[in-house]
Amino acid sequence: MICPLISFSQEISGVVSGLDNGKILTLPGVNIYWENSEKGTVSDENGSFTIRQEKGRHVLVFSFVGYETQHLHITDQNPVKVVLKPNLEIGEVTVVEKDRGTYFSTIDPIQSERIGGAELHKAACCNLAESFETNPSIDVSYNDAVSGAKQIRLLGLDGIYSQLQTENISNFRGLATGFGLTFIPGPWMESIQVSKGAASVVNGYESVTGQINVSFKKPDSGERLHLNAFTSSEGKVEFNGNQNFRLYKDMVTTGIFVHAEDFSSRIDHNHDGFLDHPLTRQVHLFNSWKYNNHKGLMLHGSFRYLADHRAGGQTGIQRGTPSAEDGLYRIGIRNNLGEAVFKGGYVWPSNHTALAVLSSFVRHDLGSSYGLTRYDALENRAYVGLVLTQDLDPEAKHVINTGVSFFYDGFDEEFNRTGKNRHESVPGIFAEYTFKPFDKLTAMAGLRWDDHNLFGSFVTPRAHFRYQPDPRLTFRASAGKGYRTANVLAENSHLFSNSRNLVFDEAVWEEAWNYGISLIQQYKVAERNLSITAEFYRTDFEKQLVVDRETSNTSVFLKPLEGASFANSFQVDIRYPVIRNLDVTVAWRQNEVKQTIGGKLLEKPYTSRYKGLFTLNYTTNLKKWMFDYTLQFNGGGRLPTIENGGSSSVYAGLPDEFPSYTIMNAQITRYFRHWSVYAGGENLTNFKQDHPVLGADDPFGPGFDATHIWGPVMGIKLYAGIRYTLNFK
Amino acid sequence: MGLIAFLSMGFQGSAKKKSTQTVFFKSNMHCADCENKLFETLRFEKGVKDLTVDHVSNTVKVEFVTGKSSSGKLVQTIEKAGYEAVEITPEDYSKRVEAAKSKPKVKGTHSH
Repeated sequence: MICPLISFSQEISGVVSGLDNGKILTLPGVNIYWENSEKGTVSDENGSFTIRQEKGRHVLVFSFVGYETQHLHITDQNPVKVVLKPNLEIGEVTVVEKDRGTYFSTIDPIQSERIGGAELHKAACCNLAESFETNPSIDVSYNDAVSGAKQIRLLGLDGIYSQLQTENISNFRGLATGFGLTFIPGPWMESIQVSKGAASVVNGYESVTGQINVSFKKPDSGERLHLNAFTSSEGKVEFNGNQNFRLYKDMVTTGIFVHAEDFSSRIDHNHDGFLDHPLTRQVHLFNSWKYNNHKGLMLHGSFRYLADHRAGGQTGIQRGTPSAEDGLYRIGIRNNLGEAVFKGGYVWPSNHTALAVLSSFVRHDLGSSYGLTRYDALENRAYVGLVLTQDLDPEAKHVINTGVSFFYDGFDEEFNRTGKNRHESVPGIFAEYTFKPFDKLTAMAGLRWDDHNLFGSFVTPRAHFRYQPDPRLTFRASAGKGYRTANVLAENSHLFSNSRNLVFDEAVWEEAWNYGISLIQQYKVAERNLSITAEFYRTDFEKQLVVDRETSNTSVFLKPLEGASFANSFQVDIRYPVIRNLDVTVAWRQNEVKQTIGGKLLEKPYTSRYKGLFTLNYTTNLKKWMFDYTLQFNGGGRLPTIENGGSSSVYAGLPDEFPSYTIMNAQITRYFRHWSVYAGGENLTNFKQDHPVLGADDPFGPGFDATHIWGPVMGIKLYAGIRYTLNFK
Repeated sequence: MGLIAFLSMGFQGSAKKKSTQTVFFKSNMHCADCENKLFETLRFEKGVKDLTVDHVSNTVKVEFVTGKSSSGKLVQTIEKAGYEAVEITPEDYSKRVEAAKSKPKVKGTHSH
């Protein structure tokens, strides 16, 4: 891609780029126009532009969502070079990379961070769950000792309270809740944006603690072909491949993504007779389409098919043989998921109005058995949203986002042969006003109204504020309400691998407030950037589903909260390259998560009281070698106990606290022109929780519980992989 | 774990001390994309030990192992990638880099 720089006598040409985390990025799609006129142009894919000189006009305006608008005084016809500054300081840029259209982007005063390609390479492995290994904000843990399902925690609270999105549409929810993270292959991702605290009302009423958005690689990106193969010492093999096709110039493009994985080794390092990791097989296909006429219209469509089968339990189990036949405790889970997504966006030539349509349709078929317990379900889900963005004045000091949305979620569930149908349909309207009087200040207020067929109508207010008195100091505050339906069985299916009876309401309405403040301070120390972030978030639940394992020896209750429930989270991160090319991150987070369980306000069980993180990343001058080292300190916490349970309690004789523990990961990557190879190890200290399966010797007896999990179930894991990338010329 | 052994061998090999020389070029890059492309092209060239590509000052600085590459070879590589390469003196290079630092190319910026 050579940047054209043709300079006719009456034309001004040049190049516009943007600053992102200290790096210069090409900015296609920047609006360039003469001040106080309609005459303008848009930068091309290299950020280059040419604009005809207009009589009497001498101020050229450069504007792009997510960046500060720049005015340039033109005195001659020499080519110009403009670098736009992000209007959010380092680490919070939420502009979707390489997306020329502006309709998915938001100008966010919301505290967020972007995990880009380089960071994704640091944990080379497998899927979204592993991408957070080097991130201090997010914890990833197993729910149970047998299914291999992983869950995340943000601000100390379960992943269900943060909204997981793909391409800015809520995804991998409902039946996919427990597996969602392992359903997103790492090599498909372009970046992940994590935002904490109240989210924008444009994205719905659901998020409480924050949002995690995954951007997949775009079919019109420069990457033509990417192949990845991976294997681990435990016997996992994985293949990923994606190829982009330019069907008509770079206007009509399509990308085909393939993922396949297999884990067939039977591993039982702790000799409890149970597999440490289930036998898994997954095939995942994804096809993405994009049309961009480079004149403001962009259309995007994608199709997904995923089949995931897993079998866990006692080491002798056979895939497909139910427990009732061979008497072995077996967990079998079969997921089949199909998805179609359509999006469209149009930006009016005036560049002050944009319209976006977002829609997604999902069908998820789940069949599962946990010993003698059966759970089968079919979920059909649809979402349609329409968002209109309008600048109220030429300088976009006042911007309004309004729209409508419709959400449908139907469940056809069968638990131990008892069937239940349930459907939610929720129409809603919303408006969000952003006030940006000058670069230092942004204030945003949003309100939405939704009407839920089961839980009635409700109002969601949210507000954000950002103040940057100095380029090195950014202060943020946010407050907002969030709501969600707890799909009790689907989201707690891991509890099926437990001998106690489940007493539950099918669907429980949850409601919470979230408040947050954060501060980012940057210093120049020895010509290098030192950044310090401090933040505090509080979540207060008014309604919540509570899992009570502590009242009865024979039942686990999944019931609505009666009393208080809250979470406080305080985090400090320091990032600094101590010497050239050696980046160091030190982070510490303190959690206080309490819930009224069985009439008493208690610390939420299985939740670490603190987390520390230390990461080192060294890259050689020519970026041919990359070394990564991560150390995680996980604080201890409370374990459940049954007060009057006596000796027949499943927890009898077990400690009521779990200890703190340390996890160490390391990786080496070597880059070649088109190839890169990597090798590394996870959990190098080989720390494992003792006795992850309670009552393992009698899995159909009353003392069986595979959900008493607070630490790693798998020990040391070594892995190696290879990547091949070919770009368009 | 043969791969790790292979990786670390390669690393030790590349860490050996060899005599190097440095050459400077001026070029015609116009944007960050060109800078990136040139960096990607040159970093895997035979013998290249260190590299600075900068589109603001329009300069390229390459350090290479004596005998493994040459100024002429590098010019060819840069031209093949679609850019100009004219060798300049270290003094000229420093002057250009300094000029780019002190005088940003954004002229007469004013906010309203």
